[in-house]
Amino acid sequence: MAGVRLEHVYKKYPGADKASVTDFNLDIQDKEFLVLVGPSGCGKSTTLRMIAGLEEISEGKLYIGDRVVNDVAPKDRDIAMVFQSYALYPHMNVYQNMAFGLKLRKFRKDEIDRRVREAARTLEIEHLLDRKPKALSGGQRQRVALGRAIVREPQVFLMDEPLSNLDAKLRTQMRANISKLMKRLETTCIYVTHDQTEAMTMGDRIVVMKDGFIQQAATPEELYNHPVNLFVAGFIGAPAMNFITGQLVEAGGAVHFKATGVDVEVPEGKAKALRAKGYVGREVIMGVRPEDIHEEPVFIEASPKSIINANIEVSENLGHEMFLYLNGLGKDNVIARVDGRSGLQEGQNVKLAIDMNKIHVFDLDTELNILEN
Amino acid sequence: MNKTQLQRIQLLTGAPAEVQSMTLSDWERIGGSKHPVLGDCIELRQESLLVVRVSAAELQVLRIHSALTPLEQELLKWAIQPSQQRPQGGSSDSERQARRLGEWIDQSLSLGEMRAEVPERFELGGRLFDGMIPFLLHSEQQAEEREPSYAELEKVLRSFISDEMMLIPIREREWLVLGSDRLLAEVEGAEEDIVDHDVTKEALHSLATGLHQMVTEEWGGECHVAVDLPMIPSESLVQTVATLRDTMYLGRKFHAGLHVHLPWMVHLERLLSGIPEGTRLRFMEEMAARPDLFTEPETISTLDAFFAMDCNVSETAKKLFIHRNTLLYRLDKLKQETGLDVRSFNDAVLVRIMLLLYKVTKRK
Repeated sequence: MAGVRLEHVYKKYPGADKASVTDFNLDIQDKEFLVLVGPSGCGKSTTLRMIAGLEEISEGKLYIGDRVVNDVAPKDRDIAMVFQSYALYPHMNVYQNMAFGLKLRKFRKDEIDRRVREAARTLEIEHLLDRKPKALSGGQRQRVALGRAIVREPQVFLMDEPLSNLDAKLRTQMRANISKLMKRLETTCIYVTHDQTEAMTMGDRIVVMKDGFIQQAATPEELYNHPVNLFVAGFIGAPAMNFITGQLVEAGGAVHFKATGVDVEVPEGKAKALRAKGYVGREVIMGVRPEDIHEEPVFIEASPKSIINANIEVSENLGHEMFLYLNGLGKDNVIARVDGRSGLQEGQNVKLAIDMNKIHVFDLDTELNILEN
Repeated sequence: MNKTQLQRIQLLTGAPAEVQSMTLSDWERIGGSKHPVLGDCIELRQESLLVVRVSAAELQVLRIHSALTPLEQELLKWAIQPSQQRPQGGSSDSERQARRLGEWIDQSLSLGEMRAEVPERFELGGRLFDGMIPFLLHSEQQAEEREPSYAELEKVLRSFISDEMMLIPIREREWLVLGSDRLLAEVEGAEEDIVDHDVTKEALHSLATGLHQMVTEEWGGECHVAVDLPMIPSESLVQTVATLRDTMYLGRKFHAGLHVHLPWMVHLERLLSGIPEGTRLRFMEEMAARPDLFTEPETISTLDAFFAMDCNVSETAKKLFIHRNTLLYRLDKLKQETGLDVRSFNDAVLVRIMLLLYKVTKRK
């Protein structure tokens, strides 16, 4: 087993104006499950392909364990890859598919058999070993692809959107299976996805990327609760964090955030930091997660300085929770996540309160989280 | 090419020289061939350009600041060939035969003799008369020293396909792989031959995808694979290689992310590629009132998925993991901005063509 280290790694394609990956620095610990996440074109797959050896590194160093592997061929990097298009060898049965790589590496027959059967048992595909890929379902094929990687017993697993071709139900199931499997195998895993739910549920640590740059690398909890900038704040969480542009003003010895339909008092701890950084009197963006807007009377009563009044334009009741699309707060709709049994309805005017201890404040120009930087 | 080699070349030619990167389109623009290979040379004013490495989208070119005589060009071409590519004293009979056949194919292609029949001197154990599936394999290996030997690749492919296969090196990093058409029955898991045309194509696609995956993971890194319908090599070997090469060229030109290329999937691309550049540019200028239309990755990926799913809104939304209404909103926005509604057949055709042309012009 081994860790992976990227030092000032760049990827620039010939003829391109700018680099696809810029100054990527990351130390991935041995046995860590690291997720690279970001929108399409952010450089996450390119980064993974550089680690796999499928893309040349334009600049910088890549270590697997203690070895610099920039010029090492993919097959000699001791890695195993699982891709979105899990191409099984269609003319071979499941056993042969899993055994092929080992056969090429001249493993003894009994060792190949042991590894294949053990992986098949782990993945619960023992009964499929004689079948051809065409006779397998999508989920079974994906498990065979994983099996093909597992039998190699590599130092690092690289997975590029391995669940994207599966339907939603199967994806959820496989997500849990992969997490369980990686914990059991105790192998370093680098996993690429565009799906923030996948990232949040699977990763020990998540790297959020945009335009080829790392935006933030942190644990799921850290990313959710302490995003360093507007992009991370908006990318992680569904529904996304609400952003309201307004002004910070000093009134009655306290700092208030004021925007259309909003006048709330910023708690003293945060106010102190905002004052110290000279943001009072300036326009900023306030970020509020949907679950930090409350409709419970007890909370409203206890939070007289953070009350907002709004009109419910649309309500989506999912049973256990309800999303309210609120009008009249700032320029855009604000979404609140409330109890599914609250009885609130579309068109209704409603009194709510923001949990101001959970708010984030972003600089209008740099988009950095003022309270986290 | 390392520093010592470069210094030696400077010494031998008596002129400064450097190695630089160049895109394939730039190479073509200055008069280079459409499919450059190691050793290709262009003479410009008082300087010579020699291809020393070919990869997916770029070339490494040795720029020598003096004109070279034809003999100097040939010598340099020979000198930069990786040693494994030169015929080995210890190579097997089958390798020598395959190399000679490859040279004959390449020569026939250069002469435009597409219908040339394989001369009788290439017997190869009668394998040229059986039904074979042709795969064209182009390796994208990055470092010169990783160039593998024929024997190594042949061994891997024999394990993967079967002993009834032939490996024919054609050019630098380019091989024709012929596998028995009995593979198709193995894909289906049935004894009888496949007669349904669509099923055959699907099986060929999965075989080519499997081959790509195997070569990428187990052998030598990234590669491109093109595959065609089974044929009898003795009758149509040259034509088949021409089709596969053309398919790979079009696939790489119009669909940068794809590594498996199929002749039956690039009909429109072939047609568009034949249109003179001036006409293409004029069409783009006339059609795209908004030149920034296709600069948004979201627009491109949405349209790509929409066309891949036969303009089916629900299926496209599913493929993109977005709500149907989100997709409709994106399509409406496109209509508002361009006046083109991709849900109508005529507009869809225009946008599809624009999208393909944009991908090519953007890369330039």
